[in-house]
Amino acid sequence: MTENTIKTIKISRIINECKNVKTIIFHNSTELKPNPGQFVMIWVPGVDEVPMSISACDEVNNWAITVKNVGDCTQALHDLKENDLIGVRGPLGNFFDKPVNKNKNIFLIGGGIGMAPLRFLAYELNKSNLDFKIIQGARVESDMLFMDEFYEYDRRNSEFHFCTDDGSYGEKGVTTEIFQKLIKDYTLEQLKNTIVYSCGPEIMLFKLFQICVKHDIEFYASLERIMRCGCGICGLCALDPLGLLVCKDGPIFNSKQLKKIEDFGKYKRDFTGKKMNI
Amino acid sequence: MLEINLSGLKLKSPLILASGILGVSYSSMKRVFDAGAGAVTTKSIGPSPRKGYKNPSIIEIYPGTFMNAVGLGNPGIDNFVSEIKEIKDKNIPLIVSVFGDTNEIYLEVATKAEEAGADAIEINISCPHAEVASIGIDKNLTFEIVKFLKDRLNVPLFVKLNPNITNLNEIGLAAERGGADGVVAINTLAAMVIDVKSKRPILSHGSGGLSGKAIHPIAVKNVYDLYKVLKIPIVGCGGIDSWENVVEFFLAGASAVQIGTALYKGTEILTNIIEGLNKYLKENEFKSINDIKGLAHQFKTQEVPDFD
Repeated sequence: MTENTIKTIKISRIINECKNVKTIIFHNSTELKPNPGQFVMIWVPGVDEVPMSISACDEVNNWAITVKNVGDCTQALHDLKENDLIGVRGPLGNFFDKPVNKNKNIFLIGGGIGMAPLRFLAYELNKSNLDFKIIQGARVESDMLFMDEFYEYDRRNSEFHFCTDDGSYGEKGVTTEIFQKLIKDYTLEQLKNTIVYSCGPEIMLFKLFQICVKHDIEFYASLERIMRCGCGICGLCALDPLGLLVCKDGPIFNSKQLKKIEDFGKYKRDFTGKKMNI
Repeated sequence: MLEINLSGLKLKSPLILASGILGVSYSSMKRVFDAGAGAVTTKSIGPSPRKGYKNPSIIEIYPGTFMNAVGLGNPGIDNFVSEIKEIKDKNIPLIVSVFGDTNEIYLEVATKAEEAGADAIEINISCPHAEVASIGIDKNLTFEIVKFLKDRLNVPLFVKLNPNITNLNEIGLAAERGGADGVVAINTLAAMVIDVKSKRPILSHGSGGLSGKAIHPIAVKNVYDLYKVLKIPIVGCGGIDSWENVVEFFLAGASAVQIGTALYKGTEILTNIIEGLNKYLKENEFKSINDIKGLAHQFKTQEVPDFD
């Protein structure tokens, strides 16, 4: 058994997060431990196999994925019940580098279902006694994720900011606007000491990247591409012009890499390998 | 020391990227070239965009051994021309793998690839999980398509052979008679994995092609056998993940090798293989890798078992 081998596992628990989003939990008896930012290939027997961020992993290796229903395979995942079988390959890809310096201003910025890997990261930061600021953006109130949990670990100095496109929850607006407001009065030293972890629509990531580059802020984004193998063979997730692979070199990329990736924010490939606009 | 001339293609090293691995974008192929490959082969390209089979389509079954049933998913030659041009802008020796429903469609795709700058064409007549395999199992069909294309193309033509048959030498000889500039042996082996818990075949297509570590000795045997009958170069392909595997193919009679599956470990593997090859040649006082070609054939093997 390696991380690229399919293991069929029974679903132990399903949580309805919000309209259209479910968290699926399964016990993985492997010795491999996932880190925040890594993903799994999830096989729904008879349907398809798709990449999914790992949204939590506890001490006894119960892994979670958080799935938004957007297509045939995610619909099939939503139709599954506890004790049904899914195939799991992983953990795959790289992960978020945790800050070494305790005094960092840590931002976790997620758009929509992009909160999934950031939630796993939030758990781990919390465990390491690191404070952080979450900015979650969604279209409407009913899309907001993990709200109960966030208030549970709001014990120390972590902050939570929310925004929706229609203002139905939190501020009316988008994550980039909130982020810019929060760093508006930062001194140069504070900016230098800030670190941003982000996941969500690539247009949002691209805007965050531009803001962070401008202010010299350490920045990490989790990218998403169509893939077959998840392990550096099929080449569908290659990013031009360096040929970096989202499945192996990513899914997490830092601003130094993103500066060189011409596809970032612009192009992706479909299942045939044809390049198309994002 | 590692330079080769493969049917007119002058390559800096005998390691060629095999078709179907990282062969969709110019950038990943450039990365493989920069890591030490002498040439790159694209994913098999057909006349129009094709999604292929759904996932699971590529999985590891034992460490280093993979199964795949991609079903010739590809963007189609017209969308792919820009990738070919990018590679040629960077002066990277390029082999375009092509397939089609008929000899004429093979020609249409190959001609467009040639016009865009391909240095050679490899025909995929042997994919075990798609319809094109029917050509590669028949010596007459193989002869016909090779002859048809050779009469109409200008660049060297390589034929990728299907090991899923009784006598590969027959097909190799048919390709040679048709005028092929070389054969690539071997494509993946027809195989299947079944998940015991869900009780169903894992790959969406059911069966697929076996590649990687497990097929290396099979590929070496095929190259060894082909070398006894063919005059045209043989490109060894199957399960290479070390310099020893490359040397083995050369000793069996290969003039070059293709490497694919093992790239899941990262392109650095090519750099390590090249280092190992250079060291082996130096230590054994060979001036060129070409000097070890077919050396295994000087040794007599036992044909008849001993009785008593």
